[in-house]
Amino acid sequence: MSNRVDPNLVSDLEAFGLKDAHKCYNCGNCTAICPLATPENPFPRKMVRYIQLGQKEKILRSPEPWLCYYCGDCSTHCPRGADPGETMMVTRRYLTSLYDWTGFSRKFYTSERFEIMAISVVALLVGMALLIFNTGNPNWEEAAINSLWPAEKIEIADLVMASVLSFLLLSNVFRCFRFIMGDLSFKIPLRLYASEFKELILHTITQKRFSKCSDGMQWFVHLMIMTGYASIFLLVVVFIRWFQRDLPEYPLSHPIRLLGYYATFAIMYGTTYAIIGRIKKKKPVYKNSHSTDWMFLILLQLTTLTGIFIHFARLLNWPATTYFLYVVHLMIAVPMLVLEVPFAKWAHLAYRPVVIYLLRVREKFEQEKPPPAVDTAGVEREGTSQGST
Amino acid sequence: MDKKLAVYICTGCGIGDALDIDQLSGVATDDFKVPICKTHENLCSKEGAELIKGDIANEGANGIVIAACSPRVMYDVFSFDNVLMERVNLREQVVWVQPAGEEDTQMMAEDYMRMGLTKMKAMAPSVPFQPEQEMSRDILVVGGGVTGLTASLEAAKAGYNVVLVEKQDQLGGFQKNVAMRVSYPYKDLQKNDLDQLIEAVRKEEKIKVYTGAKVESLEGGPCVFKATIKENGSSADHNIGAVVQAAGWQPYDPGKLDPKLGYGASPNVVTNVQFEEIAKSGKITKPSDGGFVKSVAFLQCAGQRDRKHLPYCSSVCCFTALKQAIEVKRQDPKANAYVVYKEMRTPGQGEDFYRKAQEAGVIFIRSQDPEVALRGEELTVQAYDELLGDTVVLGSLDMVVLATGMVPTTALGEDLKAKLEQEQKKEGEPEVELLRPDYMYASDVLNLKYRQGPELPALTYGFPDSHFICFPYESRRTGIYPAGPVRRPMGVASSSEDAAGAVMKAIQCIELTSKGQAVHPRVGDETYPEFFMQRCTQCKRCTEECPFGAINEDEKGNPLPQTTRCRRCGVCMGACPERIISFKNYSVGMVGDMIKSINVPDEYDEKPRILLLACENDAYPALDMIGLRRMNYNAWVRVLSVRCLGSLNLIWIADTLSKGIDGVMLLGCKHGDNYQCHFIKGSELADIRLSKVKETLDRLVLESDRVRFDTVSITDYDKLPALLDAFAARLEEVGPNPYKGF
Repeated sequence: MSNRVDPNLVSDLEAFGLKDAHKCYNCGNCTAICPLATPENPFPRKMVRYIQLGQKEKILRSPEPWLCYYCGDCSTHCPRGADPGETMMVTRRYLTSLYDWTGFSRKFYTSERFEIMAISVVALLVGMALLIFNTGNPNWEEAAINSLWPAEKIEIADLVMASVLSFLLLSNVFRCFRFIMGDLSFKIPLRLYASEFKELILHTITQKRFSKCSDGMQWFVHLMIMTGYASIFLLVVVFIRWFQRDLPEYPLSHPIRLLGYYATFAIMYGTTYAIIGRIKKKKPVYKNSHSTDWMFLILLQLTTLTGIFIHFARLLNWPATTYFLYVVHLMIAVPMLVLEVPFAKWAHLAYRPVVIYLLRVREKFEQEKPPPAVDTAGVEREGTSQGST
Repeated sequence: MDKKLAVYICTGCGIGDALDIDQLSGVATDDFKVPICKTHENLCSKEGAELIKGDIANEGANGIVIAACSPRVMYDVFSFDNVLMERVNLREQVVWVQPAGEEDTQMMAEDYMRMGLTKMKAMAPSVPFQPEQEMSRDILVVGGGVTGLTASLEAAKAGYNVVLVEKQDQLGGFQKNVAMRVSYPYKDLQKNDLDQLIEAVRKEEKIKVYTGAKVESLEGGPCVFKATIKENGSSADHNIGAVVQAAGWQPYDPGKLDPKLGYGASPNVVTNVQFEEIAKSGKITKPSDGGFVKSVAFLQCAGQRDRKHLPYCSSVCCFTALKQAIEVKRQDPKANAYVVYKEMRTPGQGEDFYRKAQEAGVIFIRSQDPEVALRGEELTVQAYDELLGDTVVLGSLDMVVLATGMVPTTALGEDLKAKLEQEQKKEGEPEVELLRPDYMYASDVLNLKYRQGPELPALTYGFPDSHFICFPYESRRTGIYPAGPVRRPMGVASSSEDAAGAVMKAIQCIELTSKGQAVHPRVGDETYPEFFMQRCTQCKRCTEECPFGAINEDEKGNPLPQTTRCRRCGVCMGACPERIISFKNYSVGMVGDMIKSINVPDEYDEKPRILLLACENDAYPALDMIGLRRMNYNAWVRVLSVRCLGSLNLIWIADTLSKGIDGVMLLGCKHGDNYQCHFIKGSELADIRLSKVKETLDRLVLESDRVRFDTVSITDYDKLPALLDAFAARLEEVGPNPYKGF
């Protein structure tokens, strides 16, 4: 009896930020107004209903939460104030915790204290590590980070961190893949997975589905944060040797420097907009802020700010300040990456494009499948192709 | 009384421009020798009314014929004391629907003038009916629940004495078993304040309360009812003016429910009424072991909105389930309460109460067909949730509560109609033609000494209303007004309102009847049917067909009209084969004379005539509407307004056809399930009578197509011109009436 109504799901989800879903009377205005909902993958009403009826299994297998970018139209138009947009957000948090096999994510989401403690512990560990593991021979004449923490060493640490992160994230993504695809997981030929891979890349880079939402500003802000974050991630993990450089600084036109500036600007712009939005609470998307939302923005902005300070301290050639800021910078950046990426809000950067990609693959597979019966097949095909764009 | 006729022709509103007024006056002065005939350009003005008043005062005019606008307007201006009045409708039904200055228009106006004058000549002044007994102004309230208590209190406040009869030993009705209730403003549960209401009734000196009592018999009619009330073996008589029937309801028998709802399978499957009894104790516990409930499912519409059980919605169960679910949640916020519903019906402010339950965490499941199942020890409900598109299971339930519906008290007891039919079959009487069936059950509430049966006739589903939407509180027994859940399913909030409404009707009835006037719908009518008994053949048709059971019968079959019960529709007049029933201003002969006064040109003039017998309640106003909209209709038509098509006497058809009029159209109200007839079955009776006349016409080689029956509602006015044209076209095919010129 998998369809047992679990009356406790709602109270469970309250820890993930669920507030108003009980007000819903299932009229479906939210689904009607949503520019992204399709007949095949309708939302948010369906998810709200799953929650109301405690259908945990069904939620686990639903791709819909990841198709939503939270523009807030549904919440604006909800006649009951049931805030379906926020409910979708809650299901994303919930799903993140369900995909995560370590159980860490759930703790992170459901306990503010745990969240702060975890970040503090990692921050302290990073700080201690930087104090213990260094050359012990800093250049006090010139601001030269490499004199204390050479880029090659940091690169090694980077790679270790990246592999741990990738392992955690990818293992969770694999679980997500199994839940979404269910029985089909290994029945779909690999070539389909391969041929649709470009979709994954495209969606990751452009977020083009988001641009269909009526509030274009949200898409822009989201794109700024995402591209800024991706650029800086590339710089600090892949190109650390070129990025962590001592004086003399690159000329202004150097690509590394330009990319760094772009990333800094993009993230500062995006996070400032979002923080102001969350304080003002004018837009529905910013009305409800879970502690992890704040943590995400604050850590990201602090990381960027300390990065900017390091940059100027270096240019001003203040060695002590530079080294101090470097330690602070990493004490913020590393916990953010280690904790947020596999276990919290950052994880959506993997789940969302992957789910969209998986749906495309499944759709293609179903199109190619020989139709079971003559007349129903036409309808089905028509239905699925409608939802493909 | 010596009648001195006076005709006043208004020339305003286009009448003067469209008609030759001198010629029209000539009809009155020359053909009918009317001594006073005046025209005025604005008869409804102050001067116009003064003109008429002057003639009444100075010339002794007492038969006033006003040829102006429709009788449906300006009735307040053209209202004079101690004179006979007749209105000739020249405006809405002549000049506004016919081209000005045409010969046909003039002929139509002159015909109406003749008809009006003919009627005026035949009319006699009416004397308001006064019964021999002294008239009572007391109100009998049957049923001491919320409705009955409120009704008694309202009546007492309005200054009327009340006799309140309650069957049980205590006042309070169903509500005395209810701890918390839902009512305005629907924000939260409310403490039941029934005790205050009972206290107020007990304290009121004008209210005489009988408990553990019943109405053993009720005879007479409005203002002359005699009620015999039996209490503890002794009986008391009361003279009563009008009655409020608030006998309430009984829950539907859960034993009859579909077994898949699980009633009887486990002691923990209970009805909403049984739940109420459990909750009254203050603790909601499992019937099986007395433990506190942790999980309760409420299944709505159990045997309701279901053809096999109660086909209707009882309107209170949604509120009740919400209330009970909230109570479960209040007792233990961790407990689970599920409401499985077909549609949630919490109209108006009730929505707030639904929200309240949502906030309390009640889980709602929309399902048409839930099923209760015992899986070993576990009580479960399986339901296909339409919003989910999948079947869900509610497990580990401590209790399942079935929302069984309300059965009106009037639907309980032996089915008297079936019994009657059975008896008739045994006696070998020919089967009576089926009208829309009246149901009557021996529910032992009023015990009327009426020829048509002891209780209120029931309509759909056994509710004793008259016309649900048009005439709330009316029943088919004059002076008896059902209120509360016996009239339609309702909760306490509506019942209180209903009580006040019914009392208002009862007061109107008493006031009008004591002046010898009719009640709804012919409010204020002072005429009443008079029976010329010497010619009565005891055929019983009047006593059987009266829609209001106003005529009793002696043992020989002679009709005993109970005039205060009469609504003045004239159905008896139409039914009587001996034509012995007439009103002072409406009789078979009078209408016949009016028909005969129509001028029928001979067939070479090619001016056929159509008589349109129009019911004054819907058809006639619809014809007025055509005028108001300045539409056109066939110029051969002559409209004759009747009180109800049920007053149609077949002799009128003969009168019409023998006069040479080419066709007769009868326009009545819709009958059938959603009937609109103000007298309930008048148009249906006319239809049945007509089917008989058609057979006769065919036998006489007079085409039965010359007679046509149609039903209209007032909003169908725009369809009437086409209907009349089609009838005229058909008559042309049939050819002129062979009786023309005889």
